[in-house]
Amino acid sequence: MELSVQPTRADHRIAWLTALAITIHIAESALPNPLPGVKPGLANVVTIAVLCLYGWRMAAWVSLLRVLVGSLLLGTFLSPTFVLSLTGALCSITTLGAAHLLGARLPGAGFGPVGFSLLAAMAHVAGQFYCAYWLFIPHAALFTLLPVLMSMAVVLGVINGIITRTMLQRVTP
Amino acid sequence: MTRADIVVLVLALALLPMLYVKFWHHGAAGDEVRIMVDGKTYETVSLKHDRRVTVHGALGDSVLEIKHGAVRFIASPCPSKYCIHSGWLHDGGEFTACLPNRVSIEVTGARARYDAINF
Repeated sequence: MELSVQPTRADHRIAWLTALAITIHIAESALPNPLPGVKPGLANVVTIAVLCLYGWRMAAWVSLLRVLVGSLLLGTFLSPTFVLSLTGALCSITTLGAAHLLGARLPGAGFGPVGFSLLAAMAHVAGQFYCAYWLFIPHAALFTLLPVLMSMAVVLGVINGIITRTMLQRVTP
Repeated sequence: MTRADIVVLVLALALLPMLYVKFWHHGAAGDEVRIMVDGKTYETVSLKHDRRVTVHGALGDSVLEIKHGAVRFIASPCPSKYCIHSGWLHDGGEFTACLPNRVSIEVTGARARYDAINF
């Protein structure tokens, strides 16, 4: 029996965008990070852009595939780093889904890239933090880090959002 | 930025100070320091007045400095100087010890920061 899969246009688009996100993810992992636990998360620019352009389903695919393939390429698959990365991605994509649904019901334009990026960054840090607390370091002292990590999430979330907005202004006529 | 974006940004900025207050807030400032030698109370000194206290321990004299409602070891005849490196103690329940010299100090106050400490 022959099994053939016909990739659709959407599948190709997911593959291309995921490849772009993975490239950014790998490039970013080569950057030194002076603060442990803090990284720019530039690959999420792609996730947010996809969310704004093609909707939530495609953004979820791109985000989760990027975490999976990125971890295979960096050799962190199934390591604690991967678990934290996946938790962060799941939390932010869930939050983005909720924000996307909510935005459609709100009067006005709903959320823009900056709002999405900020929500995603904060959900990512919150999810990852609780995961680190429950699975790896169940010590109350860890919570001292949370305000710092959250501050960085807000700053970097807004910066990534502005990058996404600028990028979208250039790609969409 | 859309209106929803601005609402989210404002909420996020409001959340941050709350996080700092919740997770970085320490216990209430202490009133007195209890100095113990060999586990027995040697002297209880108020933190209100700046002064130096010399405590006679098993090895020799440990010197404590009290300043601006806080206390620290500034000299002790021990090899490792862990007591000096613990720095200033401000809050009720904070504790440090110079084990070789058998001297320990505990800040007492209305609210203790810790229930128990072990090293």
